[in-house]
Amino acid sequence: MSGLLSSGALLRRDPRLLKVPPYLSFLCIVIGVAWLLVLPLDNYSRKTYISENALLPGQVHTYFAGSDQNVFRGYKKEVDALEGKGNTEVNDKLEEFFKASGLKVARQKYEYKSAGETYSGENIYAILHAPRGDAEEAIVLVGAWTNVEGELNKSGVALVLTLARYFKRWSLWSKDIIFLITADSRAGPQAWVDAYHDTHQKGIQSLPVKSGALQGAVVIDYPFDHRFESIHIVYDGINGQLPNLDLLNTVVAIASGQMGIGASLQKMWRHTDTYKDRLTTMLRGMLNQGLGHASGPHSSFIPYHVDAITLQPYGEGWQDEMAMGRVIESTFRSLNNLLEHLHQSFFFYLLMQSSRFVSIGTYLPSAMLVAINFTIMAIFLWVKSASPPATAGKVASATGEKSAPLMLVQEGDAKALVPEIFAEEKERDFFLPLAVVVGSHFLGVLPLYLFNHTPEIMLPAVFFIFAVMNFVFPFLASTVLTRSFAPTSQQYQLIKAFSLLFLGMFLSTLATLNFSLAFLVGLLSAPLTYIRSYPGRPITTVFFIGLLSLLAPTTVFLAGTTYWNLGIGEVLKEAAFGWDVWGMNTQVVVWCVWWPAWVVGMIQLAGKPKDEGGSIKI
Amino acid sequence: MKLFNLLRLPAVLAVMLAAPVAVTAEHTSNWAVLVSTSRFWFNYRHLANVLSLYRTVKRLGIPDSQIILMLPDDMACNPRNAFPGTVYSNADRAVDLYGDNIEVDYRGYEVTVENFIRLLTDRVGEEMPRSKRLLTDDRSNILVYMTGHGGNEFLKFQDAEEISAFDLADAFEQMWEKKRYHELLFMIDTCQANTMYSKFYSPNIIATGSSEIDQSSYSHHADNDVGVAVIDRYTYYNLDFLETQVREPSSKQTLADLFDSYDESKIHSHPGVRWDLFPGGEQAGRERLVMDFFGNVQNVEVDSTAGNATEFEEDLLALGKKIAEIRERAERQEADERNASLPEPLHSTHTTRKLRATKVEADNRSWGKTAVGVLALSGCSLVWWLGSQMDSPA
Repeated sequence: MSGLLSSGALLRRDPRLLKVPPYLSFLCIVIGVAWLLVLPLDNYSRKTYISENALLPGQVHTYFAGSDQNVFRGYKKEVDALEGKGNTEVNDKLEEFFKASGLKVARQKYEYKSAGETYSGENIYAILHAPRGDAEEAIVLVGAWTNVEGELNKSGVALVLTLARYFKRWSLWSKDIIFLITADSRAGPQAWVDAYHDTHQKGIQSLPVKSGALQGAVVIDYPFDHRFESIHIVYDGINGQLPNLDLLNTVVAIASGQMGIGASLQKMWRHTDTYKDRLTTMLRGMLNQGLGHASGPHSSFIPYHVDAITLQPYGEGWQDEMAMGRVIESTFRSLNNLLEHLHQSFFFYLLMQSSRFVSIGTYLPSAMLVAINFTIMAIFLWVKSASPPATAGKVASATGEKSAPLMLVQEGDAKALVPEIFAEEKERDFFLPLAVVVGSHFLGVLPLYLFNHTPEIMLPAVFFIFAVMNFVFPFLASTVLTRSFAPTSQQYQLIKAFSLLFLGMFLSTLATLNFSLAFLVGLLSAPLTYIRSYPGRPITTVFFIGLLSLLAPTTVFLAGTTYWNLGIGEVLKEAAFGWDVWGMNTQVVVWCVWWPAWVVGMIQLAGKPKDEGGSIKI
Repeated sequence: MKLFNLLRLPAVLAVMLAAPVAVTAEHTSNWAVLVSTSRFWFNYRHLANVLSLYRTVKRLGIPDSQIILMLPDDMACNPRNAFPGTVYSNADRAVDLYGDNIEVDYRGYEVTVENFIRLLTDRVGEEMPRSKRLLTDDRSNILVYMTGHGGNEFLKFQDAEEISAFDLADAFEQMWEKKRYHELLFMIDTCQANTMYSKFYSPNIIATGSSEIDQSSYSHHADNDVGVAVIDRYTYYNLDFLETQVREPSSKQTLADLFDSYDESKIHSHPGVRWDLFPGGEQAGRERLVMDFFGNVQNVEVDSTAGNATEFEEDLLALGKKIAEIRERAERQEADERNASLPEPLHSTHTTRKLRATKVEADNRSWGKTAVGVLALSGCSLVWWLGSQMDSPA
């Protein structure tokens, strides 16, 4: 018996060592957050650079000027005249324009149903076949008829029409160019891209005409007719996927280097290159990435590994629509130079400003440390759950009724007498803990289904009912648990260990895919590491219940909508739309990972372990 | 003894008088191997580099049959080319390098390390056409020009493989052992180019490169309508020299003039030259004419230096007379000496002995020799007959 004992087993019982993990996991959280905060500093972030040699941004003269401006004005007038007309009527006219430029035109009808509403429309697109190319590859120029805010993209559409006519005159295209005008900025692009890759759902028409593999897409969102100052670049894709950094760098290099137009990101209209501005840009980027929604028509392209961005002119300046056209022209000349898919530069990055970024290798440890904190705690609890209750030994020696039985431990030549109780392994009873943890994770399907299948009108009501239920449910579940199963403190420890283990594993995996979401969820559920039941300490219990309630998914959601002044129904509708149309999976993370962990945390707080103090009596 | 010194005099004189002429005359053909190792549109400049050099050596007289041109890509027909069918090495687009008469010997994926080394060492199959072979001998001067993307002791071929400085050095050694060149000028324009010739160990090579170790080679300028850089700096300034200073095949510009023209502030890297493999080292190498490598061999010496042409002719005439006179005197003296002592000429030097035909003596005893021959033959027959006799009973 004694021979089987290793020094490791003794080490496991070392009270000093057992104190370390909680501090260690706290340290992980602190370092993880600090890590994120130092990223904007010069020493940790890098200046952007072009990796792909073939791009050669800004090395060509642009000729989009002169008489093309008159063409633009003509198209602009036509587009203005079409304002408020029906989708089909608009497309009839657009088809006429594209055909007049000598391009092949096709249309696509689509219809999506989400949250009890129908989203339908008709996309129109024209293909310019590369005169000397091989039609194996294509690049897309997109102008949605209405932009994300629902405004008529008048200058944008006119610019696409003008550029279509202008590009047709060049003979140097190595790839086909597709000019796409979608009916809206949310469903239309998704329908078109899905159909282009033959993965479209029912209700979406197949594309009658296609070209080669898409190599990149640029969206113009230019809904006003005055001159502008700078270009705002939107780059977030669905589920936090990003376009290759080279595409963004190319546009920035062309706009600022060649044309002298500033570029900004994440709605930072005035970026002064201070630490604060860099951090704000980065955090806004992380929030957008974490939410995982489509931020523009380009977002739908990114899941198909088609690098895409949206360009939005903004401000009052002296740049006119022709300057915008020249930026597009130069960008297309660069994309035309590509020999293979954009792959040289980063796909995982955080941008601080248009010319500064951190790559995955630098930022990943931050989310990983937060995720590891859960894993450390889970392992610690697993070890601890097998050790005897600390009170037993103490009580025995304090009362002095009987001395604890000793046993001989031999390690090589060294021998030691230790209390027998130290060498005992308590058997773990983990059927109940596993059932609780797995059950709560499966329960997450309920809200997931509920929020994605409720009609829009009922969404706010459903949300409030759910929010109230959400606070009652853990106590209810806890009562049922204690009444019918009377879990021991060991079982509570195991419940927590499994829950944290799941959370840690899931978040560290997610961190490589969607860093921001993993980091945000990790941070919001960090208190779960330190939650346990506090029997006989009602004030502590109430305090923790209050804290956890503040960090409940529903509370965070409410706080977010209030802070950004959005309607609850509106956001939930958007989320349902994302689920149905974009294939957004943020909800899965929230309802099947974060929420179950939170519920388990609450159950712990409300729980009453059976044998607490019981061992003294026996 | 005096006599033979005198005999040698004309040759010595001739060498002293027309030293450069004599040196150039040592090779009998000129070849050029011009290699670009990179493909793809954004490497337009490498193909333009090679094509510019191709055009220059052709201008200076090397015929297409003696130029091996390796082009891994076809820029003229690239759909991205705004000027289809052309390649320019200058943004002024004055000279279309593709023109109407170019002969590409190795193109596209034929440009590989293996094919390049096979070409140099002539280890090719029988089916290989003559136009794709380097048909040089030990009297051929070769210009080897390479350009592409390289690094420390390697040069990339088409993004797929690379040739190392050791491979190249061994290939040149094989060429030397197989007597495939007389003298070789190796010129390379790539990043860290000078490392490429650092491993050479075969004689008679002069090597030059665009940049030192850890140095990049840079492009000279871009054509904003073509949309790419059109030529590299080192090649640009080499061409600049060749275009402006070596205007015709009779040019007397030396390699020293060419190498001294390199201006590091313009090239933006440190070009290097390696002389130590060349007999006579830097001293001798610097005197070599540019035309020894960039032009075709001149069989006829054209007196292009028009100013002192007649003077030169007169000198030559006077010298001829002088030589004739000396030779006459020498012959007379020789005749006198032969009369005095006959065995003396046997002490003659290697060269003079070679000149004399072997004297066949008339044989007086032919009958005796015939008799010996008949006797020997009959003896052999007897032995053969005896042998067959002993064999038959068994």
